[in-house]
Parts: sequence; C-alpha cells; structure tokens
Amino acid sequence: MAAYLLQRLLLMIPTFIGITLLCFLIVHLAPGDPAELMAGGGLSARGGAGISLQKRGAVDQALAEWRALYGLDKPLHVQYLVWLKNLARLDFGNSFKDNRSVWEKVRERLPVTLKLEFFSILLVYIVAIPLGIYSATHRDTLGDYATTLVAFVLFAVPVIWAATMALVFICGGDFLYLFPPGGLTSIDYARDWPLWERIKDQTWHLFLPVVLLSYAGFAGLSRYMRSSMLEVLRQDFIQVARAKGLAERVVVFKHAVRNSLIPQVTILAELLPGLIGGSVIIETVFSIPGMGQLGFDAVLARDYPVVLALLTVSALLTLIGILLSDILLAVVDPRIAFGRRIQ
Amino acid sequence: MRRSLFLAAFLSLTLFSLRGDGFGQGAAQPVTGDWLLNHSLSDPEQLNPLTSNDASASEVLGYIFESLLQLDPRTLEFKPLLAETRPEISKDKLAYTFKLRRDARFQDGKPITGEDVLFSIKSIKCPLVDAPFLRVYYDSVVDAELLDPYTIRFKTKEPYFLNEEQLGSILVLPRHYYDPQNLLKTTGVRDLLGDPTKLPPAVKRFADNFNKNYNRSPLGSGPYKFAFWKTGQEVQLVRDPNYWGNGKAGVDQPHIDRMRFRVINNPDAALIQLKSGDLDTMELTPIQATRGTNSDRFKKQFAKYEYYAPTFSYIGWNNASPIFRDKRVRQAMTYFTNRQQMVKAILFGLGRVVDSPIYFSRPEYDNSLYSYPYDPKKALALLAEAGWKDTDGDGVLDKVIDGRKVPLRFEIKVNSGNDVRESVALTLQDELKKHGVAASVRQLDWTIFLDDVKNHKFDAVVLGWQMPATEGDNYQVWHSSQADNKGSNHISFKNPRVDKILEDYRREFDEKKRFEMAKEFQHILNDEQPYTFLFARKAVTPVDRRFHGVEVLATPTGLSPIEWWVPRSQQKYGARETAN
Repeated sequence: MAAYLLQRLLLMIPTFIGITLLCFLIVHLAPGDPAELMAGGGLSARGGAGISLQKRGAVDQALAEWRALYGLDKPLHVQYLVWLKNLARLDFGNSFKDNRSVWEKVRERLPVTLKLEFFSILLVYIVAIPLGIYSATHRDTLGDYATTLVAFVLFAVPVIWAATMALVFICGGDFLYLFPPGGLTSIDYARDWPLWERIKDQTWHLFLPVVLLSYAGFAGLSRYMRSSMLEVLRQDFIQVARAKGLAERVVVFKHAVRNSLIPQVTILAELLPGLIGGSVIIETVFSIPGMGQLGFDAVLARDYPVVLALLTVSALLTLIGILLSDILLAVVDPRIAFGRRIQ
Repeated sequence: MRRSLFLAAFLSLTLFSLRGDGFGQGAAQPVTGDWLLNHSLSDPEQLNPLTSNDASASEVLGYIFESLLQLDPRTLEFKPLLAETRPEISKDKLAYTFKLRRDARFQDGKPITGEDVLFSIKSIKCPLVDAPFLRVYYDSVVDAELLDPYTIRFKTKEPYFLNEEQLGSILVLPRHYYDPQNLLKTTGVRDLLGDPTKLPPAVKRFADNFNKNYNRSPLGSGPYKFAFWKTGQEVQLVRDPNYWGNGKAGVDQPHIDRMRFRVINNPDAALIQLKSGDLDTMELTPIQATRGTNSDRFKKQFAKYEYYAPTFSYIGWNNASPIFRDKRVRQAMTYFTNRQQMVKAILFGLGRVVDSPIYFSRPEYDNSLYSYPYDPKKALALLAEAGWKDTDGDGVLDKVIDGRKVPLRFEIKVNSGNDVRESVALTLQDELKKHGVAASVRQLDWTIFLDDVKNHKFDAVVLGWQMPATEGDNYQVWHSSQADNKGSNHISFKNPRVDKILEDYRREFDEKKRFEMAKEFQHILNDEQPYTFLFARKAVTPVDRRFHGVEVLATPTGLSPIEWWVPRSQQKYGARETAN
C-alpha cells in the first residue's frame, strides 16, 4: 500500500506540471490583451460609453510601461518559468486589476463559496440518498416513477431561469417578499446584533442560493443510489438476511444501504474541486461575492495570475480527489488491494 | 445655442418646483442624517486616487478627495476649491500659479499645504507609479515648484487650452499619509522625466509602497471619509463631521450621513432590490425605464429623473477601405440608416439623434448641421453617382475599383453582449439587403473586438464615445496622426483642413475663436460622414422620494447626491451603525 501510494504521488508531479503548462499556454495565447483592457478603463463592454475619449492619447507609451510593470514584456517561456518558480514558493503573484496578491483575493471569497457549496452538497445528499433508497425498495411502483420524474424535471430546469423566477416572484419585487433579493446580510445588519439574530439573518440570505444550487443534483445522485441499491438487494446475503427472519427495515438499512454506499465514494473526486468553484449564475443573480465571479471576471479581464491560480488549484484538488477516492475505495472495500497486484 | 437655452430653462423649472415643495412642508432647511444606498454595477478595482482606472472607483473617490479647482455643475465653469482663486497664467501661457486656501484640512486634521500638491504631481509623474493612463494627461507638465508654502507654480511644455483644467483637477493627496518617510523629498518633477532605471532607490521604494499598500484605505480632504470596503458587496463612506468646508460659502455642504455603494452586477437583480428598499437609487436600462417602473406603487415610492449623459453611439466606416474611402458611399450609408426609428425601437424613445461628436448642450455645438434623414432613394442616387451598379445580376451592387470588380459587400462588427449595438447593426443590415447592399453582422468578444478596432481590421463597427461635459479636445480621435500607431482615429479619417484646425485649436486661448473653429470642424465632418453618428442615450434614474434637493445637472453624472438631504421625520436609518 505504501509503495503504491508513493508511486501515485510521484506520478502526480509530471501530470501536474503538464496541466500547468497547458493552462499557461491556453490562458496566454487566448486572444485579447490585458494591457489594452486596462487602458479601456472600467468602461466595460456592457455600458453604452465605449472607450473614454480623453484617455487615448500617448497610450502606447503607457501600455509599454504597464506591461513592463507586470513582466508581460518578456518572452512567453521566460514568463512561464518565472511563474513556475513562484509557484514552487506557493506565490501566485499579484492580480493585474488591483495589484493585490492572488491569495488575498481568494481568501476573501473562499469562505462564502465553501459555505454555499458545503450546504448545497449536504442538501443534495440528504435529499438524494433517501430518494434513491425509496426508489430502489419501491421499484417500478407509482412512487418510484413519480420521484424519478420529479428528479429529472428538476434536473432539466435551467438554474438561470429558476433563479430569475425566484428573484422576481418571491424576493420583494412586485410580488411576494419571502426571501431577500440578494447579498449575504440585511442592509442594517450590525455586529452588535444578538447571535441568534445574526444566524437567522444569514440563514435567511443563504437559503434560496443553497436550494437553487442543489436541486439539479438530486437526479444524478438518486439514480446512482437507486442502481447500486438494486444491485445489492439482488445479492445472496440479502436473501440470507431475509431468510433469518430479520425485519425488512433492518435488511434494507443495516445490510443493503451500507454496502450500496461504497460506489458513492468515487464521487469525492468531483466534489473537492467543486467546493471551491462557485457558481457564476447564482452569484450574479443574488449578488454574492464568491469564487465563481472572481474567476469569471478574471477571465473577462484577462487577469492571468488569478485565472492561472484558480486553474492550478482546482487541477491539484482534482488530482488529490482522485487519489483520495481510490484510497477510500480500498479502505471500505476489502476486495480491492492495490499493493499486492503489483508484486 | 438654442439647445443650451432649452436646457437652462429646464433646469430652472426643476429648481422652482423643488422650492415650492420645500416651502409647502415648512422644511426648506436641509438637515443631516440618514443613509443613501447607491448602486454600483461592479466592484471598484482599487481605491487608490492615482492608480484606480475604473468608473466605480472614480465615483467613490470623488467624495473622498478634492482638487484645486472644481467643476460647477450648474455653470460648467471651473471654480476654486482647494485653491483660493483660479490660477494666474503667465504671458507665454506656459506657467500656471495656484494659491492655496489656508483653512483647508485633510480628514486627519492636518492642514493642506503646497507640499501636498507638489507631492501629488510628483507621484503622478513618477514613472514607477502604476498610473500610466493618468500620466498621459499630465504629459505636458515639465516642472513644478513652491514659491511659498501655499503657492505652487506648474510649468508646461507647450501652450494648451486644457492645461488649466487638467492642473486644476489634480487630486491633492496628503503627503504625510502616502509618503510618511518623505522619500520623494529630494526628487523634483524634472528628475522624474528621465530614464526610470536611473532613479534613486528611495523613489523606487516609494513607488513600490504606494502601488501596493494604499489601494484599500484612501485618505483625502473631502466631505466623506472611507469607512470600509467588503469586496464584491459594498463600499461604505461616512460623512466627516469635522469637514473643513462645513459652513464655507462656495463649498458643497454634505448632508447624508452614510454613502453606501452596493455592488450588484445584474441590473435586473438591482431593480428588485430597489423595489424592496435595499437600494435608494440606480440607473435603469431602457427596458426597465419603459416597462416595470410605471406602477402606481413604484411612482409613489420613487421619482424618476431623466438626463442625457454626454455619450454618443456611432457606426464607424473604415475610411481606408476601397468601398468607404468614397465619401458618397458613407453619405449613402447614413441616408440608409433610419436613426429616428432606431431611437424609437431600440432605445424605447429614450434618446435623441446626434450629428456631431460634440455634446449637443455645449455652446460650441453647431445647431445648423444637416441632419441626414432616412432616405433610401437619395442613398441609391449617391451610390449610382459613385459608380455602383449591379452589372452581373447577382442582386448585389458592384463597381470596378483599381481594375478589380468589387461587390458592395462588407461586415459590421459589434461587441457581443451589447444588445443596443447589435440591434443597430441588424436593423441596418436588413435595410441594406433591400437595396442590393450585402452587409453581414459579426459579434466578437470585447477584448478581441478591441484588438480588431485598434488594428483597423474591420469594414464597419458600431461603437460609442464618452464626451466631456466641459469643452473637449478632438485631436485624439480626428487628427490624421492618430490613425497610425493604434491611435483612437481607428477609422483612418485623414483630412488636412481638419488637421490644421485641431492643431490650432489646442494653442488657441480665446474661447470665441475656438468655438468658431469647432463649428468649421463639425461642418467638415457633417459633409464627410466618416462616422454615421447615431444617438445619445437618455439616462433614467429613480430616486427614493424621501430625498430632497434632487436636481438634474448638466454634469456627466446628471445627479449630484452630495446635495441631497432627508427631512428628520422621513429619515429611514437615522444614525445607526452597520456591519464592519
């Protein structure tokens, strides 16, 4: 096992460097010039204004100065090596936009995204696992069909539509005011509020985003659960358990469910990078300052250091996630033993 | 001239109605208190008065920092703010001497002296400070010196009519805060002009520190102090009770206790927040202004204000292309463009057709310009006169240019995501198709679009310019020298007479003469049609009715919240604290 682990860890290094090289090339070679965008100022493409009339004078000189300041005037391979060297010291450099370190920017937004993603993943599991169990134990009944149908309908509803509808109809516009129309806290939220009031206010603000982030996940996970559950229920030991005269409840929950949870472990590989990814749509609709917006804005502004940092971290988390799920599989399922096969 | 008169009449009308209101309630005296929840479409990138380069930041910084002169929003004249009077200009128009007022103070209580102004211009001119785009404006400043602790003299490279305005709008930074070790002390403006690599190490230390550590904690002399900034959520400013300008004549008196700039990227979400009371004001999109904000409930809660922001949209024809280098073709294109209909259908009537790059309420705007009507017959006649005929019967006009048969076929580029520009291009494409002109529309991501525009890789583009509400300099956009080297004359308009006018314009200090030149310039553009000028858009901004003193002004922002106040009985937030 230890040898296997070491082998896997060593293999990760060239894979990781390969990923960074690819990311670096794609990001830098994509059309668009960050210096040029800076010169355009904050007058983004969205506004009616365009490029500010007065600022376009001796701009070439200015652009050259700016590129030199951020090292963009050097050849690409030199830039990559410099970046890699800094990466080895865990330094992702400074954002072009505000000259702050990328770590600082990520640190500011990560807690919000972690909170949102954690609760929505939790909600997905809380809803989807029982749903899958129910579908499997009530296979081919009306209940099975109905839950499956609902899960798939939800899966098919675009989140941008659902979020906008929720915003328009239940967030205090011209209709109902059940949930806040955005942000993380109320307008007059203050730190000297009693703890209970603060928790209540934050929960009220997080509720809709969490629900909207999770509903599409119900279908997938409940399907996985249903099929692995069905497979286990067909096994001989289940029949033995029933033959022993165990109550159906014990058969299902003690023997079947535990065994059918094993394949769900592999999903971990997708979960880890997902935790920090954030959602551009939900964050934009509900004005939540999370990682999704950070990444999206960075791509639009060609803010290379930020884009590269996010890509690198999520690549690393994916690699770790894959390794972890392989190890966990071996832990929970004694039939899998990596080390011995190598010998 | 008629236009500006009209505007003046409109302004005084608003004034009257407001006075009437105030007297009626017996609450004409402004009081302090309450909060204003402003809307920002995006987070400021940073709050450094020199290195910030975006609209959100400059709005916020405008409350925190002050300059030597200030634009009077009613007369659009510059008036003294931190300076005692407007500057004394030397005979050769090269030296500008400003005398500072002695009672002005920074927010930490320290007095503002000439040393701070000198430090401010030095930081701008320092090539290591991350402000290359601001430095462009101060290219002409070659020296600055203190004559006494409260008098500063700037020297400029050449006479230029905008020098006073540009020097007057330098934001004055407290030297003791931004350069506590006084690292720039021994380096003069003159020393900063040379090779950046040969600057003393102290200057580099200053610049590194300035670029890095002053981006989120601005300190100035303005009426509002920086309170906090929650990234992606809001920037909050608090009224400085010890503001030096309190009670001083000629200085804006702030009333609102807290200015909160709430970041909401999505305009639809912002409108919902406005309706639920989480915002007090925002700028509406055309569709929001015409639908969705007309219910009785909305009108009861908000008053809508309309004004023309000094911007215009246009279709730029690549004057260097074989098709568009003939001015008759460009004129024909303008005749094909149904601009009135576009204002009606695309802007929902919230705009007006423009015919010149100069803001139509400026005195130098020429009202006698010919406004090309929608007239396809005239357009076709012009094309025929220019030699365009469908010789091969393929339904598209053609002409032999430089010995080669060229069909009248071209591409209009727009940046994707901008619905208005896209609609303009599609409307024109549709019209042209009926008359044997094959235009196609191509949408491009903003960055790629910008690259193409700068490199002149287009036949036609739909774009917009922002204009100053004050007198502008058209050199950057229309002088032939700006057509090369990726300048702003991206359509390659080259006209010797216009070149001459624009060169003389910069050196002319007599306003009357300049205005005459501006009129000739506009007449040439009107005939040449290098652009098809489209329209200026009207901004519509609702403001919660509890705010008094709201007035539409001729400045680019239209409204000036610094003058607003809320009567005690209507104050929503009083003086409560908020999250920190």
